[in-house]
Parts: sequence; structure tokens; C-alpha cells
Amino acid sequence: MDFHAALGWGLPVGIGLAAIGSGIGLGGIGSGAMQAIGRQPEATAKIQLAMIIIAALAEALTIYAFVTMFLLKGQIAG
Amino acid sequence: MGLEFLARVRRSSLWLGAVTALAVATYATPNAGLAVAAGAAWSLVNLILLERLIVALTGMDRRTLPATVRAITAIGGMMALFVAGWLLLTRLPAALLMAGFVIPHAVIVLKALALLVLPTRAWQRLTRTPWPALVVAVVLAAGWWAVTTGWSQSQGSGSGATAGSDPHAPAATAQDSHGTAPAPAAGDAHGAADAHGAPAEEAGPEKFANVITVLSRAFPHATWAHFLHHYEPVVYSLLIAFIICLVAMAATRNPKLIPGPLQNGAEMVVEALYNFIVDILGPRFGPRYVPFLGTLFVYILAMNLFGLIPFMDSPTSNLNVTVALALIVFVYAQYIGFRELGVLGWVDHMAGSPRSAIGWGLVPLMLPIHLMGELAKPISLACRLFGNIFGEDMLLVAFASLGITVLSFANLPIGVPLHLPFLFLALLTSTLQALVFTVLSTIYFLLMLPHADHGHEGEAQHAH
Repeated sequence: MDFHAALGWGLPVGIGLAAIGSGIGLGGIGSGAMQAIGRQPEATAKIQLAMIIIAALAEALTIYAFVTMFLLKGQIAG
Repeated sequence: MGLEFLARVRRSSLWLGAVTALAVATYATPNAGLAVAAGAAWSLVNLILLERLIVALTGMDRRTLPATVRAITAIGGMMALFVAGWLLLTRLPAALLMAGFVIPHAVIVLKALALLVLPTRAWQRLTRTPWPALVVAVVLAAGWWAVTTGWSQSQGSGSGATAGSDPHAPAATAQDSHGTAPAPAAGDAHGAADAHGAPAEEAGPEKFANVITVLSRAFPHATWAHFLHHYEPVVYSLLIAFIICLVAMAATRNPKLIPGPLQNGAEMVVEALYNFIVDILGPRFGPRYVPFLGTLFVYILAMNLFGLIPFMDSPTSNLNVTVALALIVFVYAQYIGFRELGVLGWVDHMAGSPRSAIGWGLVPLMLPIHLMGELAKPISLACRLFGNIFGEDMLLVAFASLGITVLSFANLPIGVPLHLPFLFLALLTSTLQALVFTVLSTIYFLLMLPHADHGHEGEAQHAH
């Protein structure tokens, strides 16, 4: 398998794996935040803020994979 | 006039020399930038030594021993400086060294001119209201632009091989080849009358056609179109900043007790941002950083949403813009750290605030981790914003071109607006990413502030 073929396979699969990881993380964050809001509805604003920050951090991993994909995409065409 | 004037000259030429050297190092070679910096530094040191010598020779205490010592050291320093200058001249290009050498002198001349011009009647009449000054500035900028472009054009036609003076030449040829031989799939797209239906063909990733790509396609040989195309994100972000300024000025022009709709909206936005940021940073430090962080939010939100207007483009879908924003946040956070904690406090913070034997033992581990964490923050900020907005644009383009290909058998100038649901997704992402950027910047500021109850201190107290 040469370099281009390896990239052609690896980039989509890699971005998918990163999305799976982020998805699991985001699911955990969301469920935790919902439970916390359910227990203490008066703290909704604070919980939502923390949830958005952590969700952004988790989501950033997929974005890194995405940016890497775009950086390496030009290499496939050669 | 006097020593205070010289101190101001020193400060200005330090800044000007540093910026010029950086610019030269960026656009020419690093060696050239080094030469400019060395020339400017040499000239500055020369000026300082001259000033010391003259003060020592003509000051109040000119006959005393310390003054004599000062004069002798100044003369010795100048000797060493001349030797250093000779060494520099043998190593670095002389013309650039000369350019750097001229910088402080140019600053002196300009400052003296400003001192002469500023008190005159004509200048005061010009600057009493903003509009005449604006007109003069626009006329000057247009004249400068016309002169420089005419100059570069005559240069380009004269020798034909000066590729360095015209950086747009390769882009132009690439675009011409694209324009004359469009891909067959894009042929239908060009016929589409739908504003969102035509993905632009260019060297970079495909995007929706915006005003600047249309203009550069319409005038493929005009210098100004190449200029606009080359600096597209800069042009758009400046336009957005200008619009925000106009709205802010209109909203605060004559504030009333019973506000109109514009003033009401602006007050609502400002108040919401104020409460939001002060909630995070606390009442002591919060109000100081509200202007910066609030501006950041409004600016990024406007830039993100600007791409959803037909024939416009989001500047934040370009990595350069987001890196610039993240660097501003990074530098400001370090500045806050230095100002609020002091230099030693900053080092202590970076070392993980060691207060016990275990803490001191962990310093070799904590210091690199903290430093790398600091450096990772701007990278993650920039990549997150860029990736989200760029990805959202790409998604819209992909679905819009899919909608065009669906109807391509009928040869109609329209397509199915398949990207319509994703426009609402784009609205959500734009707002959320502006919020996330602002919140994370606020958190980075918070981590730098000397708080009793922020995360680091809490961890440290738990650990001990």
C-alpha cells in the first residue's frame, strides 16, 4: 500500500473514529448535565455553562481530526 | 522638547523598528529582518550614548568626577559600537542596515514635524469634527494606493520577470486557467441563478461565490481585484468591524431615558454580556475585562453569521483570522498574569504554586506541563473556531451542489435547496462557537487571576 492509498483509507476512517470518541464523550457530558439539572433545577445556568465548556473541549478533538484531514487532503491528489 | 522628547523618540523607534523588522522578516528573508533590526538597534544605542555624552559634558555637574566617568564610558561605548557596526557591515546587507539605521532619525523628524503641525489653526479646524479628517484620510489612502499600484504595474510591464513585486501573478494565471476550462460538473453550477448555488472555482477549497470572488472573476486582470482577492478575509473582517462601529455609534449617539429600539437592543446585549462575564470573573476583576471579552463575542458572532448572508463570506472560515484572535487572547492572558501576579508570581503559577516538599518536588514535572498547556490554549481556540465555521461552510456547499446535481438532467438554472435545513444548524453553530470562544477566553483569564477560589488553588489545597 503506497502513501496515497494509505492516506485515502486512513483520513475518513480516522475522522470517523475521532467522531465516535467525541460522540461518546458528548453523550456522557449531556447525560451528566441533564441529571444534575434534574436534581437541582435552580442551578441550571451554572450547569449549562460548565456543560457548554466541557462539550466544546470534547468536540474540539473531532475538529482537530477534521483540520488534520484538510491539511493532509491535498497530499492524496499528489 | 528636551530629554523627555528623546525618551519618547526612543520608545517610538523601538516599536517601529521591531514592527518593521518583523514585517521585513516575514515578507523578505529572516536575514533581511535581522539586518533591519540590527541597524535600528545600532542607531538607537548610538543615540542613547550621544545623549549621555552631551548630558555629561553640558549638564549641571560637568566638572565633577561622576560626570567625567560617564563621559568616558560613553566615548568608550561609542568606540565599541563603531567596531560592532563595522562587523555588522561585513556580515549583513548594507542597504538594509542603512534602512534600519534611518528609522530612529525618521522618527525624530516626524515627531518634530508633528510638534510643528499640531498647534496650527488649519489642523485644529480639520480635526474639530471627524468627517473632514475622514475625507482627507480616505483621499490620502486612495492616492497612495493609486501611486503604489501604478508603480508596481509599470515595474511589472518594464521587466516582466519581477515576480517578487507582484505576488498575485501565479494566482492570476491559476485562476485564468480555471476560468477558461471549468470542470464539467461546475458548468451547471455557474448557470445557477440561486445566490447560494454556485460554488466558486479557485485554487483553495471550494466556497460559495462571494462579492470578492465574483469581482476577481469579472476583472481577472485588474490589480485591485487581485488585491481584494488576496486579502479577502482581512477585507471582510475590516468591513464587519466597521459595521459594528457604525451600529455602536448610532446606538449611543444621543442616549435617552426612554430608549428607542436600537439603544434598547444595544443596552440589552451589553447588560447580558456584563452579567455573564462578571458572574464568571467575580465582581472585583470582572468589570475590567468586560469590554475586551464582550467585543470579542460580538465581533466573532458577527463574523460567523456574516457568511450566511448571500454573497458574503465568514472571515472566521480562514485559519489566519482565528489564529490572530487566539493570539490576542493568549498575549492578553499572559499580560494579565504578569500584571496581577507579578513576574515571580507568574513563574510560581506556572510551577504549580509549590508550597510544600511534594509541591517543590513536582516542579520539574508541573512547569513543562503548564507551559505546554498555555501554548496549547491558543492553538485549540483557533482550530476549534476555524474548524467549526469552515466545516459548516463546507457542509452547506456540499449540500447545495448536491441539490444542483439532482436537477442537472433538466438543464434548469435552479437547484433543489437541499442545504436549507443546514442553514439553521449553521445559525446554531455560529452562535455557539462565538459563545464558546468567549467563555474559554474568560476561563483562561480567570485561571491567570489571583483568586482564592479558582480551580488551581482548590486542587492544591485538596492535595495537601
